[in-house]
Amino acid sequence: MGRYVLKRLLILIPTLIAVTIIVFTLMNFVPGDPVMIALGSGTHTPAEVEAKRIAMGLDRPFLVRLGEYLKGVFFHFDFGTSLIDGTSIQYQLVTRFPNTLKIAIYSIIFTVVIGIPLGVFCAQHANSVGDRIALIMTLVLDSMPSFWLALLLMLLFALQLHWLPSTGSGSFKYFILPTLANSLGGLAGFTRQVRASMLEVTRSDFVTTARSKGISERKVVYGHALPNALIPILTLVGMRFGGMLGGATVIEVIFSIPGIGQLLVNGINNRDSTVVTGGIVFIALTFSLIMLLTDLAYALVDPRIKAQYATQKKKSGEEEKRHHGGHHHGKRAEEA
Amino acid sequence: MSKKNATEINSLKPGSLKYVWRKLLKNKSAVFGLTVVALLIILSLLSPLICRYDYRSMDALNAYSGPSSEHLLGCDELGRDILSRVLYGARYTFIIGILSTAIAAVLGIAMGAVAGYFGGKVDSILMRFLDIFQSFPMLILAMAFCAVFGTGIDKCILALGISNISGFARLMRANILRIRNMEYVEAATSIGCPTRKIITGHVIPNAISPIIVEIAMGISRNGLASSSLSFLGLGVQQPTPEWGAMLSSARSYIRYYPHMAIIPGIFILITVLSFNLIGDAVRDILDPTLKE
Amino acid sequence: MSENTKNSEFFSIRDLNVQYKSGDQTVYAVNGVSFDLAPGETLGLVGETGAGKTTIAKSILRILPEHAVKKMEGEVLYEGQDIFRMNDTELRKIRGHQISMIFQDPMTALNPVKRVNEQIAEGYIQHHHCTKAEAEQRAEEMLELVGISKDRAGEYPHQFSGGMKQRVVIAMALACSPRLLIADEPTTALDVTIQAQVLDLIKRLRDELGTSMILITHDLGVVAGICDQVAVIYAGRIIEKGSKAEVFRHPTHPYTIGLFGALPDLKKDVERLSPIEGLPPDPTVKTEGCAFYPRCARRCEKCKTYAYEPTNLTDTHMILCCNPAGEEEAK
Repeated sequence: MGRYVLKRLLILIPTLIAVTIIVFTLMNFVPGDPVMIALGSGTHTPAEVEAKRIAMGLDRPFLVRLGEYLKGVFFHFDFGTSLIDGTSIQYQLVTRFPNTLKIAIYSIIFTVVIGIPLGVFCAQHANSVGDRIALIMTLVLDSMPSFWLALLLMLLFALQLHWLPSTGSGSFKYFILPTLANSLGGLAGFTRQVRASMLEVTRSDFVTTARSKGISERKVVYGHALPNALIPILTLVGMRFGGMLGGATVIEVIFSIPGIGQLLVNGINNRDSTVVTGGIVFIALTFSLIMLLTDLAYALVDPRIKAQYATQKKKSGEEEKRHHGGHHHGKRAEEA
Repeated sequence: MSKKNATEINSLKPGSLKYVWRKLLKNKSAVFGLTVVALLIILSLLSPLICRYDYRSMDALNAYSGPSSEHLLGCDELGRDILSRVLYGARYTFIIGILSTAIAAVLGIAMGAVAGYFGGKVDSILMRFLDIFQSFPMLILAMAFCAVFGTGIDKCILALGISNISGFARLMRANILRIRNMEYVEAATSIGCPTRKIITGHVIPNAISPIIVEIAMGISRNGLASSSLSFLGLGVQQPTPEWGAMLSSARSYIRYYPHMAIIPGIFILITVLSFNLIGDAVRDILDPTLKE
Repeated sequence: MSENTKNSEFFSIRDLNVQYKSGDQTVYAVNGVSFDLAPGETLGLVGETGAGKTTIAKSILRILPEHAVKKMEGEVLYEGQDIFRMNDTELRKIRGHQISMIFQDPMTALNPVKRVNEQIAEGYIQHHHCTKAEAEQRAEEMLELVGISKDRAGEYPHQFSGGMKQRVVIAMALACSPRLLIADEPTTALDVTIQAQVLDLIKRLRDELGTSMILITHDLGVVAGICDQVAVIYAGRIIEKGSKAEVFRHPTHPYTIGLFGALPDLKKDVERLSPIEGLPPDPTVKTEGCAFYPRCARRCEKCKTYAYEPTNLTDTHMILCCNPAGEEEAK
């Protein structure tokens, strides 16, 4: 197990370095001269521009700047300063990240707490009226753009009923609508996954075996079927959690929550390329770490996978198949 | 008659396109999805002819007006007819959704096929490369490309297309690996069937079906993502009547004129739902174990 | 074994019918099966794949997949009580405690995320209302009994080989000392070398515990070694039933004769084996007359309208055939 973790970390580090190189390089091609953006509107003499360029270190060769950037990010967690207002991007990221994380954590908790019992219910009452209603609702929610859902929720609960604040951040109250808007769509797909996984497991032989022992139906479902059904679901939870970092972007903009996503969107709209680079690299770091933790957790709960990694004997076929539980959102998981 | 049809379908190879299509036409929700998609495409193409108002013409007197017999779905802040704009705007969602998925599918399938078929070093290099793509949530990746390319329909298509390559590549690679290890391919190899024939005769027909599901899902996902990007001001810009862009401008007026925001959203919902229904149906047809 | 009063005292099945739904079609899996079993007796159910053997076994414990079953009728009498009419609580007291089952595929019959001792102990706790420690003690005893060291009690199923897994399944089935054991092709999924070991184990434990058994198999050799009674199943019907001696010495139904003809026999000098031509009938089609007709060597006009009136050759030997082989052919 230890070797496996080590191996995964060893793969992760070059990937993250590559990510940073690519993002930095790409952002070098963002339209607009960063020097002009940093100087702001108004007329500037060529000498002023040149002085600023040297002050920003942009006169140096690209590779040197890239090297410095990598050193800054990986050794000092330093992402440079904003072109527009010169603030430290590290400070921005660190102060904003808790808000993004709150939305993502609340969303995933909401998804799991509602999605698993609902999915199990639907599987146990497959094709009943309740199951069908839930299925139709999940289909509709799944197809709903989250930003539209956010607007509708805001319209109803904040602007019409005045139950909850419409924008801003602060106490838990401010996060209720963003959490709902961020998770309802994903919750729908998640519920369907739990249902499908549960149905599949319920039909496997060992559930029949358990039933033949004369134990109660409750024990058959919750003691035997559910733990097995949750194994592929765990990967899904990790991926949803990671995806919520992306989804939170739109939500943060709508609800004016100062998070990473809002920083990123503002950065793109202001052509503040250093902020954009920093934001994207930071999200990639977080996202990759979440994915790694997901895979490790997955290996921990499934004794078969755990044994595989322990002995480093790969039964690639079985693994591939199990990872397929991740469904169409789960391409990521196929590579372990 | 129906009996004859049934046997005809059963005689087709499960997984072949013809088989999927026939079964699709027997699935109510898929037929609903296909009908809605076809209807929206036709209405969008015909919208300059059938709509009473041009999608660009402004009418200050009717600004913000709600649905009425004059303007069935009301007007926006500049007095433009929302129905005309929404119908005309359907084409953007479809063009962006379909073209970006096409780009992703072509490049992704090629990469996945190369990686899966050649294996070894080629495979690991390509997969490590895709790992980089997979280090971002899809929307963030698309936003990054939007930041580089700038705004506009073509750039939005490109950004979404590139962002989706890795999904197709991985799917294709996994399929090829799976099929390569199947006994019937081994059997074909063992009787001396040439590699080319194995690929065209066994590997591709069996890999194509999951790809179709992914394409249907990709169109809905990219349609949704394009409206998200436009909503954030990163994809298609106002005054283009792209649904996300319409919602973006309507957002400021949501307190007093919610119809402006609700209507484009409903159209996004219906379109995405239709593609999801089609994709779900195709998946059920291809993977009968999921059905009860 | 030959007492006539054994009927319905201990265990019997009366006119069992099971139908599955498959898409729009109905699968006629079991069509009017009846048999009796005395305490301590072993019945072998023999037939080809798809003949309905497993369905019979699973319907006894009512563990057929509910979503697939269209119709399940008849009586399954255990000590005079009809299992089909029991409520859930009564049924659960039978399952695993009075009647338990060994499954065909040990690879899938065990829960992959639970330790084997938990899985063995679970039923014991349920039926004996004992503490977990006592049950795990019992689980270890059971493992020793089937030849697995108790050191391995805390391991997961994937850590065992196929044959060892089947031993675990056997330990699980016998943990509560059931009075009737149903073994559904217990060795089919195992390597040939392991098969004999596992069969010997089942046989030994049956004798030690005095359990009655229904052994499902497609292997006549297995029947010869273990069973007292034999019932041959074809297309969901028992087409020949009798004591082992009767069926083995005087097979009378053309299908049974065919089965024996397809067996290699060292004592006889035959040029080649004679397999039964053709395939089993499509179970989704309800045929008129005898289901074996298309493959039968002795088919005649009567067979087309045959309504399965049983012919009793002796008190215990029964066949479903309207044109059975005479003495000279049976030899």
